[in-house]
Amino acid sequence: MTLQECYAKLEGDYAAVSSRLPSEKFIQKYVLKFAEDKTMELLEEAWQNGNFDEAFRAAHTIKGMCQNLSFARLEKSSSALTESLRGGKSPKAEELLGQVREDYALTADTIKEYKAGL
Amino acid sequence: MDGKKRRQKILIVDDSEMNRSILVDMLGEEYDTIEVENGLMAVSELQKRAGEISLMMLDIVMPLMDGLEVLEVMNRRRWIETVPVIMISAETNSDKISQALEMGVTDFISRPFDAKIVQRRVLNTLLSSAKQAELENLVAEQIYEKEQNSLLMIDILSHIVEFRNGESGLHVVHVRRLTEVLLKQLASKRPDYELSAGKIALISEASALHDIGKIAIDEKILNKPGRLTNEEFQIMKQHSSIGAQMLDGLGVHQGEPLVRIAYQICRWHHERWDGRGYPDGLKGDDIPIAAQVVAMADVYDALTSERVYKSAFSHEKAIEMICNNECGSFNPVLLECLMEVSDTMQEELKSPEVKESAGESISSMVEKMSHHSELAASNRTLQLLEHERMKYSFFAAMSKEIQFEYTISPSMVSLNAWGARNLGLDEVVMDPLENQKVGKYLSEDLRAQLHDVLMSATPEEPIVTLEGKMEKDGVKKWYRFVMQALWSEDEPPELRGAIGKAVDIHSSRSYLENLERRASMDQLTGLLNLTSAQSQAEARLKENPEAKYALAFFDCDYFKDANNTYGHLFGNRLLVHIAERLRQVTRSGDIVSRAGGDEYIIFIQYHQELEPTIQRIYGALHGEDFGGFSISISMGIATTVQVGPDFTELMGAADRALYAVKQAGKGQYKFFEGNETSLVKSRGESVYTNQSEIIDFTPEE
Repeated sequence: MTLQECYAKLEGDYAAVSSRLPSEKFIQKYVLKFAEDKTMELLEEAWQNGNFDEAFRAAHTIKGMCQNLSFARLEKSSSALTESLRGGKSPKAEELLGQVREDYALTADTIKEYKAGL
Repeated sequence: MDGKKRRQKILIVDDSEMNRSILVDMLGEEYDTIEVENGLMAVSELQKRAGEISLMMLDIVMPLMDGLEVLEVMNRRRWIETVPVIMISAETNSDKISQALEMGVTDFISRPFDAKIVQRRVLNTLLSSAKQAELENLVAEQIYEKEQNSLLMIDILSHIVEFRNGESGLHVVHVRRLTEVLLKQLASKRPDYELSAGKIALISEASALHDIGKIAIDEKILNKPGRLTNEEFQIMKQHSSIGAQMLDGLGVHQGEPLVRIAYQICRWHHERWDGRGYPDGLKGDDIPIAAQVVAMADVYDALTSERVYKSAFSHEKAIEMICNNECGSFNPVLLECLMEVSDTMQEELKSPEVKESAGESISSMVEKMSHHSELAASNRTLQLLEHERMKYSFFAAMSKEIQFEYTISPSMVSLNAWGARNLGLDEVVMDPLENQKVGKYLSEDLRAQLHDVLMSATPEEPIVTLEGKMEKDGVKKWYRFVMQALWSEDEPPELRGAIGKAVDIHSSRSYLENLERRASMDQLTGLLNLTSAQSQAEARLKENPEAKYALAFFDCDYFKDANNTYGHLFGNRLLVHIAERLRQVTRSGDIVSRAGGDEYIIFIQYHQELEPTIQRIYGALHGEDFGGFSISISMGIATTVQVGPDFTELMGAADRALYAVKQAGKGQYKFFEGNETSLVKSRGESVYTNQSEIIDFTPEE
């Protein structure tokens, strides 16, 4: 799988990211790094403990990473989740978390698959 | 500055390891980077080395201490004045952004990071903060210059003291030098004391005056070889407050920074950190820093010099005694400074400048003065800048223009004071497109026009103008917007926003509109002229090509004869009369025009039957007696149903129908049929026949 195909599969915007970041190698480095990032775990944990302040920060962090990597799909859902947690948990948050879980899994799995083929 | 070029340090504060790492990769080649993952760590890093950090990149949402709290601390400790901050948050909440701006943030870089933008913004910020430091130095020079006038006074006063005191002239010089060395050390450690280069120079100069109060002390006490009695000591102690009083009495120089600082030094250089000094028993940082530093320098020099009542201590011994609080008690941070400079300060005191100047006399004054002229240029530049600034704000206030600066990201508008007042807005408006008050002024239409015209600007032709109606005080008024688009310096350049102004052109625009209306009218009859009738008709045809329209083209038969017989004035009155009739029989939506000479057109929309309408109009015009002249009308009519929605076609067809009427003997109306070479078809009662071609009339006059 090429990096471009990886982006297509996780519904990211490869054209956008490659226009911003200096090289394919640079992008690859951070795509691989994303798979090792622990923020999603932090989000789940905070959620379970009912610490929605921390959950907000974690969602915010995921959103920021996705923006930098142009992971459009996950960015959209994590961004919505962030807003639903701003200043406390809103009723929609539960459902939005579900979407983030799904998109995150797609993203992480795709990167793992890409990595295995390197 | 040292000759070796040091790499500038950038402190990156972000809780996401990945974001930090991306920034390090983007900036690491050019700069040294330090990464920390929350606000607390950022603050402790600043505490350790605020002086070394050239720039901070700061996230907002972080655990433990968020970005705004970091900014708060930076404001409190005044680090914000020396460390420029770029926000790098994914935050889009405009409240937070405007809060950050208020707290002194220099720039924003929004996610996602673009390598070129990050590098460029960092460079820009570093450059502009270097420029700021340069400007600050310029100002320091300017202050320094002002103080030159007072320096002579200092010299004279301090030498009088030394002369009376029997102390070596070196004491004043040593104290001055030490004060300077200690202050420089302190400045990098504690920005909150605000020790700029100018201030350090000022305090050092003023230090020479610390003992001027001794002029008033009895010489016998002053120069007594042995220990002072308690009573003598009480008298001796008065020298600090007396010195302060002397400066208080300076009159003319009151309020000058130098005199103010000298006052602090004179009065409080015998206060102690623990509050057990004199004359006021001030404690800790209640003692002005100038006095604290001079006190330490004074004690050190007293210890290491020979006096009538004691021999000299070694440098090491003196430092030890001071640090053990054997000769007073000092600010711990000042003791730290003393120890840090301990190794170099002996050398400093032996430097030729100090040795040679037993009295810092005329030659060094001359040297200072000549050194001074070099500064004149920079002062002049400053004055010119100040002059320009004043000129600008004056004209900005006088011009009654709304001036604005618009940036796209973060989305904000800043207005000049007059403009903000005039519009009842704040001078800075975040998210103007979302702002209700702004929305009142900018209708959707105007907003779209402004957007389009701004987008049409190019780096080659960055200035664009637009005239549009803006609602103000419930009335739509014409404004002219002139804008200069601003681009980033990237390749390709990115539109960053615009500066511009909005000028009320309502009265001049109304005048123009009036002229325009007059130009579109036939002067004689007040009907539309042909050109404007055509453009209005074409607009309607375009707007609604499916609708049914008819054009009637007519003239007044025998008009030439009437003109010849009764004169032009009569002819004109006749033309006006026909126009008035037309106004009476047409609807306001119809387009009625005098096409030229005695020719008129009527352009009407119809729905079912056209002929009754035409009959009514024709009937109102034809056959009337006007001052003895029986009006006869020939009219040709064509419809869009026949020729399509095209004005020229309509005119052509109606003209052919009219020509056919003329051929058939005038005084009739006729619909276009497409075979206009033939004779007018009899249309029964719908064809009006002129009763007589020879008109029976009596002249009006």
